[in-house]
Amino acid sequence: MISDIVNVIFYLGNCVLLVNLRRMRLEKCWFCSSTVYPGHGIQFVRNDAKIFRFCRSKCHKNFKMKRNPRKVKWTKAYRRLHGKDMTHDSTFEFERKRNRPERYDRNLAENTLKAIKKIDKIRSDRASDHIKNRLKTGKVQRQKEARKQLEQGIHLVKAPHALAQDSSLCLPKIKVNVSQAQTEENQPMEE
Amino acid sequence: MRTVLKVVDNSGAKKVMCIQALKGKKGARLGDTIIASVKEAMPNGKVKKGKVVYGVVVLAAMQRGRCDGSEVKFDDNAVVLVDKQGQPIGTRVFGPVPHELRQKKHVKILTLAEHIA
Repeated sequence: MISDIVNVIFYLGNCVLLVNLRRMRLEKCWFCSSTVYPGHGIQFVRNDAKIFRFCRSKCHKNFKMKRNPRKVKWTKAYRRLHGKDMTHDSTFEFERKRNRPERYDRNLAENTLKAIKKIDKIRSDRASDHIKNRLKTGKVQRQKEARKQLEQGIHLVKAPHALAQDSSLCLPKIKVNVSQAQTEENQPMEE
Repeated sequence: MRTVLKVVDNSGAKKVMCIQALKGKKGARLGDTIIASVKEAMPNGKVKKGKVVYGVVVLAAMQRGRCDGSEVKFDDNAVVLVDKQGQPIGTRVFGPVPHELRQKKHVKILTLAEHIA
C-alpha cells in the first residue's frame, strides 16, 4: 500500500526544506457508499487487514449489528441492486480509483477541475432522469385510478338529488352513439 | 494495567499482560510502548512464561485520531515484543500494523509488517 506520507524536498535558495505532505483522498463509506471527506468518520481495520470506512456513526453502528447493506433500504448498495438508481453509465468511469499519482501540471489540474463540475452535472441529470422514468408509470396509473374513482363514487361527494337539480355538479355527459337497429325495435313496444 | 494483549510476532509469547504503560498517565494507546508480563508462551520460544518484557502496541480496539481528523480502530489489542532499545525480538510480524509507528520511530516493525493500515 502506498504510504500517504510523501516527503517532499524543497530547495529554497541554498537551504533545503523537508516537508511532510499528506495525500488527500475522498473515500467511500462501506455501508452507505456516500463520500467520506477528510476529517470525518471512522476507519476500522480488521485482522485480515481489510479496511472498512464509515462516513458516520449510523453506518458504523449498522455494521457492528452485522447488517447487510444490500438489505438496508436507504443505502446505495440496496438502491443499485434493486434498480432504484442508475447502475451502468459512462460517467462512472471517470470516478474509478487510480493508484498512480499524477505529476502536477497546472493545465491538467485546471482542466480536471472544470471537467469534474461538468461530469457531475451530467451524472446527476442522468440519475434523476432514470428515477423520473421509473416513477412515470406509477403516476399514470394513479391518475387513471383517480378518474375511475371519481366517476364511480361521485354520489359520495354529492347527493343524487343535488346532482339531478344542478347539472353543473355532474360530470360531463359522455355521448354514446346508439345504433339504428335498436331504436326500430323499441317502436313497436310503445305503440 | 492488567490488559491482556495478543502477541503478533514470532518471539514465542502468545499472550502478555500489561503491567505498566511507559508514557501517559491515562494508559498506553496505539503506538506506545508498555512493560508486560508474559502469561502464555509457545514451548520453544525466545521468550518464556513469566518473563517481563517491553512491547509496542500495534493494534488497539480503542480508536486513535489521525492527523487528518479521521479515527482508526482495530479488531483487538495486540503487541509486538521489543527490547529496551526498541528493536523487535521476533523476526516476523503478523497482521496489519498502523502508520503511527513511523512517527514513533519503530521503523523495524514497519519493515517486518505484512500490511500497513
